[in-house]
Amino acid sequence: MSEGAERPVLLSIRDASRVYRMGEVDVPALRAVTLDVFEGEILVIVGASGSGKSTLLNLIGGMDRPTAGAVVFRGEDLAVATDRRLTLFRRREVGFVFQLFNLIPSLTALENVRVAIEIADDPLDPREALQLVDLGDRADHFPSQLSGGQQQRVAIARALASNPRMVLCDEPTGALDSATTRSVLELLLRLNGELGKTIVVITHERHITPIADRVVILHDGTVASITRNEERAAVADLDWT
Amino acid sequence: MALRFTLKKKLLRDLWGRKLALSALVVIVGIGVACYVAMASVYRDLDGARARYYRDRRLADFAVDLKRAPASVTERVAALPNVSGVRGRIDFAVLLDLPGVDEPITGRAISMPRRRAPVLNDVVLVRGGWFGGRDDREAILNESFAAAHGLGPGDRIKVTLLDRQVDLLIVGTALSPEFVYLIPAGGGLAPDPARFGVLYCPEELLERSCDLEGAVNQIIGTVHDDEPTAIRNTLELIGDELDAWGVTNTVAAADQPSVRFLADELAGLAVTSRTIPVVFLFVAALVLNVLVSRLVRQQRTVIGTLKALGYSSSQVTVHFLGYGVVVGFGGGVAGLALGWWMQTGLVSVYRQFYAVPGIEAHVYPDIAATGLAISVGFAILGTVKSVRHAASLAPAEAMQPPPPEGGHRILLERMPWLWGRLSFRRRLVLRSIFRNPFRSGVSVFASMVSTALVVTTLNNADALDVIVRHEFEQVSHQDVTVVVRDPIDAARADEVTLLDAIGRIEPQLVIVCDVENGARRKRIGVTGLPSGNELYTPLDDRGRRLVVPEEGLLLSRKLADILGVEVGDVVRLRPLIGRRETVRAPIVGIATIYLGLGAYADLGYLSRLVGEERVANSVLGVVAGRRATAELYRGVKERPAVIGVGERRRALDQIQQTFGEVMGTFIGVTVLFAGLIAFGAVLNTALVSLSEREREVATLRVLGYHPGQVSRIFSAESVALNGVGIGFGLLAGVGLTHLLSLAYDTELYRFPVVIAPENLALASALMAAFIAAAQLVIYQLIRALEWLAVLQARG
Ligand SMILES: Nc1ncnc2c1ncn2[C@@H]1O[C@H](COP(=O)(O)OP(=O)(O)OP(=O)(O)O)[C@@H](O)[C@H]1O
Ligand SMILES: [Mg+2]
Repeated sequence: MSEGAERPVLLSIRDASRVYRMGEVDVPALRAVTLDVFEGEILVIVGASGSGKSTLLNLIGGMDRPTAGAVVFRGEDLAVATDRRLTLFRRREVGFVFQLFNLIPSLTALENVRVAIEIADDPLDPREALQLVDLGDRADHFPSQLSGGQQQRVAIARALASNPRMVLCDEPTGALDSATTRSVLELLLRLNGELGKTIVVITHERHITPIADRVVILHDGTVASITRNEERAAVADLDWT
Repeated sequence: MALRFTLKKKLLRDLWGRKLALSALVVIVGIGVACYVAMASVYRDLDGARARYYRDRRLADFAVDLKRAPASVTERVAALPNVSGVRGRIDFAVLLDLPGVDEPITGRAISMPRRRAPVLNDVVLVRGGWFGGRDDREAILNESFAAAHGLGPGDRIKVTLLDRQVDLLIVGTALSPEFVYLIPAGGGLAPDPARFGVLYCPEELLERSCDLEGAVNQIIGTVHDDEPTAIRNTLELIGDELDAWGVTNTVAAADQPSVRFLADELAGLAVTSRTIPVVFLFVAALVLNVLVSRLVRQQRTVIGTLKALGYSSSQVTVHFLGYGVVVGFGGGVAGLALGWWMQTGLVSVYRQFYAVPGIEAHVYPDIAATGLAISVGFAILGTVKSVRHAASLAPAEAMQPPPPEGGHRILLERMPWLWGRLSFRRRLVLRSIFRNPFRSGVSVFASMVSTALVVTTLNNADALDVIVRHEFEQVSHQDVTVVVRDPIDAARADEVTLLDAIGRIEPQLVIVCDVENGARRKRIGVTGLPSGNELYTPLDDRGRRLVVPEEGLLLSRKLADILGVEVGDVVRLRPLIGRRETVRAPIVGIATIYLGLGAYADLGYLSRLVGEERVANSVLGVVAGRRATAELYRGVKERPAVIGVGERRRALDQIQQTFGEVMGTFIGVTVLFAGLIAFGAVLNTALVSLSEREREVATLRVLGYHPGQVSRIFSAESVALNGVGIGFGLLAGVGLTHLLSLAYDTELYRFPVVIAPENLALASALMAAFIAAAQLVIYQLIRALEWLAVLQARG
């Protein structure tokens, strides 16, 4: 595979399968998926509901282990790593952004960012992280006092705050209207462009795929295709109709 | 692992958001801790004061009563094995005549060296000083008695010693470790310091006035080995050694009522301080578990998020354990404060009951620390189960919505013939109950515990009443009891006691005897009753009068058990006075007695045992009216043979007054605690249920249900669960009442099983009131629920 071209591999999934046991039945969510994540790229994963997107992202982010196969990060197979190792991996290397933001409702924006900072080795200043997402002035607001887009930006600030290599987003704009979606996407592009973060985004909105370096299409637990955009589109150029 | 600062903030804010439920929990934990701390501390306050008192004043381990022995016999006793210290003294029953007090008061005059010396059974001077005037007609008065009569140093007191009334100068007042629980003879259960006069007099004075020159009538002493059997053996040796001087009684200190009452009280306190708090804390742990598992379920995504951010399972666990720690700590601290308040209250009650100097409430850091540790421990126990499960979830799994909460059909739904008949609201209630079996169980358990507690307390108070009525109304019917020093001819009892003109009289004879069945043996006072006894009538277990047999004994149930005998068995009976021959006495009946160990025989039978025809040493009488009573008192004061007069009514009043007050407070506090526990538990489980069913509530509100109609669904659940809880609680209370009567089964007193239907009704009503109060809170919450917001929230 040469899609990565000049970029080094950050993490590779090798023949990874994930089967959920539901009582008597096995639900195969991923079947022998192989995929590299390159440093500094924007990778967008699309696919029908239930095609295994979240499952795949969880494997990349050390949230879960494959039932078979390997997840190799810097020579270490996370598939067989201890819980402790996985915890450290998530803490140091990964920032997560979720569809429903998952902010802690009883903490202010600033405190939500601090939650991540307090366990990080080399964190950003929490106010700086909030300024990065243009929410410096909302630091003391509780999530319930923020709009959906603002909440998602707080969540992104939180993901950034520990200064991770990768930011993994599971439908980050799924709960947002198009205007807010745009600002969130702009932000992700900026993180990639200015801070060099590797960004993996799950979406079911096909029209935003042009912002990616590569687009992975999942179908029924397998990789149906991986396409490379010769040129990344700007958010403003996306088709919002 | 330390909690991160921000997570601590989250913890505190989450807790604040649940302040209602949590404060209810803190109250339950606090009550548990308070009970523990108060009782454990009071135990130490009391035990410490007692031990110090006994040690400092050298409380004797035994006492031997003699008719009369030369003072030098102490040397012979001192030479016996195991005896470590001996003192001979005079202990003489006297009558006290106090100005302004009609009735003669029974007292004891006890000899003390003229010069103060560190003797056995020493006293603590409270007011005034030691003897020292030129005239040795001086006395140091028992402080409790002196205080009750407003007497003090400088006052004078008239005392009938043997056959003469002497006028003594009170030089001081004192307390003695011997007389800590001041129950006058025949007084039963409650201390009555005003009727318990002890005066310490110079040896010389008593020797002269009691016709005991150079002699003593009591040997007290200490031993090296104070195990009960060792003391018993020693006492037997002493009894043999002093046989020639007419040993009338030997008592180990542990069997002295004063020592015994205090020791029994302490033993009871030790048990209660370890059981009651555990029950409360256990309830708190269960309720906390309900609350925290709900909280953890609510915060499932938070847990997933924290793990995604790189928090480890143990960090997440520690965070959620924080809920338990805060509740435990908060409850613990509240408990320490409440406990201190209870402790000072208890200490003042004990001060009133026990004349021990230095009963002070102290703070014991180790008890406080244990109390805190226990409460935090229990609270963590209540948290850990649900937290461990949540923290162990793989982060990806935690991010998933939880499996639907008990969406399954309950058993009843599979019985269509029954289910089909239930209204929709009944179905909601039943589903909610059976889909959350643990929570429902906790509800039932909490109201069960509370109800049982109230039932038992009410029953206990009634048992005390039954005891008092039994002893002072059903068995005793006399107005007064007149006790004489030496047995008199029973036929001439009226002359001696001046009772003939006054009313019906009945002689009694009390002889200390050893009763033996094989190796089992007990020394007790056997009461001789005349045939046709009407003023003192022992009853059997069904309340029927027992006929005193011409030969043989009636024993109390307790004594029969101690001796291991039943009706028809034969015991060996040996009086300690007279010819002291051993006879074989058949057991003819078993009497129900709650106070002390009773044994009864025919007056003539008992008289013959001591070599007499028909003698008596006390006379019961019925006195008509106050004038007759006053006349009796006046006469008795001039009769040197009389050493005591007891009034049935006064003993009864005294008990009812003293215990009535304490019991009333005790019942009040128990009901309050039980109520708070029930209230807190109901409130918590209802709050959890409400938070789970917010959508249901909101939906019903949208459909046009009034808050009252909605809250009726919740109260129906509460009523159903707590109804069952109260039902079980009534049963458990009845069981506990039985258990308590087994536990309070001592030689001094026994508690009958009293189960009054009105107590069951009252307990149920009280619990219902507390539960209704909790429902009211829930109703307010439902009314205030912003149901529109709930429906619009994404879930
Ligand atoms: N915890 C689980 N237990 C059982 N089955 C699961 C679990 N998580 C996912 N699955 C199943 O695995 C398959 C893939 O799920 P996944 O969540 O990865 O899909 P997805 O592509 O993210 O879908 P969506 O777009 O709806 O989020 C689905 O069939 C899903 O039902
Ligand atoms: Mg998904």
